[in-house]
Amino acid sequence: MIPATMLTNALLVGAVLFCLGLVGILTRRNLIVMFLSAELMLQGVSVTLVAWSRYHGDWGGQVLVVFVLTVAACEAAVALVFVLQAFASTGRLDASAWQALREENLPRVIDHELPADDRVVPTWPHLSPAGVLPEGDDSRSLERDHV
Amino acid sequence: MDPVSTATASPSGLLLAGSVAAIAASLWLLLPKASDTVASRRLGFLLGAVALVGFAATGRSLGSVGEDAVFLTVAGIAVISGLATIVTRSPVYSAIWFAMTLAGVSGVLLVLGAQFLGVATIVVYAGAILVMFLFVLMLAQPSGMAPYDRVSNEPMLAAAAGAVLLGLLTLSIGRLSAAEPPSCCRMPSRAQAVAAAAPADGAAAKADESTTLIAPAMAGGDTGDANEVAHLGAELFGRHLFAVEVAGVLLLVALVGAIAVVSRGEATETDHRREGR
Repeated sequence: MIPATMLTNALLVGAVLFCLGLVGILTRRNLIVMFLSAELMLQGVSVTLVAWSRYHGDWGGQVLVVFVLTVAACEAAVALVFVLQAFASTGRLDASAWQALREENLPRVIDHELPADDRVVPTWPHLSPAGVLPEGDDSRSLERDHV
Repeated sequence: MDPVSTATASPSGLLLAGSVAAIAASLWLLLPKASDTVASRRLGFLLGAVALVGFAATGRSLGSVGEDAVFLTVAGIAVISGLATIVTRSPVYSAIWFAMTLAGVSGVLLVLGAQFLGVATIVVYAGAILVMFLFVLMLAQPSGMAPYDRVSNEPMLAAAAGAVLLGLLTLSIGRLSAAEPPSCCRMPSRAQAVAAAAPADGAAAKADESTTLIAPAMAGGDTGDANEVAHLGAELFGRHLFAVEVAGVLLLVALVGAIAVVSRGEATETDHRREGR
């Protein structure tokens, strides 16, 4: 059994994870990131269930989390298949690529201005040459007699 | 008496309102959108840190977060990585941040005393599901950062909605800790329940077997003893055996369905034969 203070703290963590997942699934347009957000919500619910289970000294919550894991695995398998099929037909992982399915009265999503792609290009380490560059003309080095 | 107005009158209510506002602004600044600059993102990180401290303080007023440093650490890892999961532009980094979230959540479950679920989260989620996500990303991700990763749908509304929901949840959790649970909602401990049920079910041979399996776990009246995994297994395969069977069928159906959907577009050998005929 856990004390009530631990229960409330764990419930708080579960609530934060759930709300973060909610914001993610509402805003992000990449299908994969949307599914990751859904999994984040499942994690929040799992923390909540386990906290209640430990608080009440009852195994029901933990058994339920085992089934949540099972259903999440099934969901990921089936959903990723559909994501791959969607990618094969549009070439994009964009949820807005399917906006022709929207209701009649909803506005169309148009990307008016895109932010600049401000990724930092990685600078690879420059390796200083070890030893001395061998002298000699290039024609000699192509001959295979001194290998 | 209105719980919201009484809560906002107190300093902890003000703190909660401030934290909610900070987390909404932070989420809005951090989410990918058109008017994005490095400075706004830094401000978002700063506000996020402020909101995190505010929520930790809210938790302190609810219970006492500070007394358990391990819990605070793993919970911080889970929450910060969860935030990074939804605001990172690159989906690959998003998946890797999600793996960090799983590590944090697993730590939280271990601190709570659910050892089997803590390990299962790492094994099943990080080991299987997340790897599947990464495989799909590598199969389907176009090179470079796609334009749809740099914008999001209605970031301001969604951030406000998420923050308000979080504030409401925190308020209800706070009311929960303020009030003693009423006697109606106090579940009888399973030890008493099993002890009460055992003489009645003693005649049934099957129930007898499961009771002897479960009863030692309940004798201590605690779900967090050394044989936690064994007792969870006894519970799972004793009381919930039918549900386990259903979960197995569900897994099989998902497997067959996934393969069927993938292979539907490709002509099989019999299709070719039918075409030729």
